[in-house]
Amino acid sequence: MNAVLTLARRELAATFDSPIAYIAATVFLVVTGLLFFFGHDGSADFFGAREATLRPLFEYAPWALAVILPAVTMRLFAEEKKSGTLELLVTLPVSDLQLVLGKLLGAVGFLVVALLVTFVFPVAVAMAGNPDMGAVAGGYLGLLLIGTAFLALGLLTSTWTHNQIVAFIVGLLLCVFFWTATDALIKVAFDKPPLTLQLLSFRTQFDDFAKGVVDVRNVLYFLSVSAVAVVGSTYSLQSRHWK
Amino acid sequence: MADGTVVRVRNLVKQYATKTALGGVSFDVHAGEIMGLLGPNGAGKSTTMKILTTYLAATSGDVAVDGVDSAEDPVKVRAMLGYLPESTPLYTDMVVFDYLEYVGSMRGFKGAELRKRIGDVIRMVGLQEYVGFQIGTLSKGYRQRVGLAQAMLHNPKVLILDEPTSGLDPNQIIEIRNLIRELGKSHTVILSSHNLAEVRQICDRVVIIHRGKVVADGTIDELEGKVASTHRLILGVQPKAGQSASDLVAELQAQDGVAAAQVTHEAKTPVPHASFEVEAARDLRPELFQWAQRSGHGLVELRRKAMDLEGIFQSLTQDAN
Repeated sequence: MNAVLTLARRELAATFDSPIAYIAATVFLVVTGLLFFFGHDGSADFFGAREATLRPLFEYAPWALAVILPAVTMRLFAEEKKSGTLELLVTLPVSDLQLVLGKLLGAVGFLVVALLVTFVFPVAVAMAGNPDMGAVAGGYLGLLLIGTAFLALGLLTSTWTHNQIVAFIVGLLLCVFFWTATDALIKVAFDKPPLTLQLLSFRTQFDDFAKGVVDVRNVLYFLSVSAVAVVGSTYSLQSRHWK
Repeated sequence: MADGTVVRVRNLVKQYATKTALGGVSFDVHAGEIMGLLGPNGAGKSTTMKILTTYLAATSGDVAVDGVDSAEDPVKVRAMLGYLPESTPLYTDMVVFDYLEYVGSMRGFKGAELRKRIGDVIRMVGLQEYVGFQIGTLSKGYRQRVGLAQAMLHNPKVLILDEPTSGLDPNQIIEIRNLIRELGKSHTVILSSHNLAEVRQICDRVVIIHRGKVVADGTIDELEGKVASTHRLILGVQPKAGQSASDLVAELQAQDGVAAAQVTHEAKTPVPHASFEVEAARDLRPELFQWAQRSGHGLVELRRKAMDLEGIFQSLTQDAN
């Protein structure tokens, strides 16, 4: 466990040593801010809604996360592969699963910081009105969970290549696909989509969080996706033995 | 292990998709020994080391470190090894101290114990003045020291160094070799090299790998004795007045035991002399010394010609064939 925390600390520090962290956090804040206050078509923006709610934030934030989080995870393994440091890392007396968990935890640390920065929105809303703080907390829990799932997917793509750009693009496609395309594809393919397929979509699973409702099934869903990606990353690291 | 074997390698086979990198490698490394893994590029040295360190799994065969099978308990084996991969991959963005602290924490050390160990290895490899430097700003020689420091941090049973002097300049090479020799006094070391002279200087024993197979295992002297059926001697003499180098060739060839002699070069400075390569069935150095003295030639140089790796390979692989 100590090794996991050591690695997480090192990764978090390395993330904030590079400009990527600041760019990603700034983009996240600006994009969610613009979408929150003004919306993309005026239907879901803060002023249009005319109520003290953070729902517009939770509607749009996953979009921003799907784009910026793969930029944070792209270097995690790809850089180690390229520079050769992976060889030293995996020959430390630590299991491959611990390495994957440590890296993921470090990236979750960044996510937490990025989400903390957006606390300016609930504070602003609370100054203007009286939002339901329970709903706000539920929304943030949802963002933490969906963000962790995005990070785990990004981490997985980072184990596939030594090229960070490739890791980023594939990670981005994967995140955007799970966030929006599964939903869209299912709707194109079926007039009345079966519930099991609908449940595969991040968006379906996130809807309740955006409304401020915490359903344990949604929580388990995002945790399961993250777990699958973690196990996939571990196997991907071990594939060096079979080549 | 009771017989002092620390690393036991048996029938190691590594099959890549299109190529057999190792075709059944076996050797033992004993406690306190500095063993050189010698071979030309592509012979299988790095593959062997990557399997020893559990970075790669062997297709078949066994590796045991201090009796622990590396396929069964790789994490336990890793805890006993210190590893410096070829080309010393380090986090160039980190400061030396932070990097060692990170590696130490990953190895389970903390607090005062961790700081003491960092202090010890920093002194051991001579990095005192560079603890606060970013690794990326260090010269290759000092990066190599950082690499050695991280490998030594947990006082490992076995130190595995893959081509530790490649890419260094001559002064750095000497420093790192001295350092390895120093470390070898208290540790078991396996190092790979394609440089015979280096292995001769540092190692107690050598295992030669050629095309994925062990072709020789022993001390350098044993190996040279085994492969050298003819002795090649380098002789430098200042001919006495009135004699030329070619006169001396005839004289040398007339000596008992000399199979052939030829002039390799003639020098004017610092002492005018001619160099000869003498081929003989046995080591004729005492006889040649006496001959020079008797005939009134000034002796400038007399030594055995060191066998080069290529020569050894040729002999060994010819023997194998």
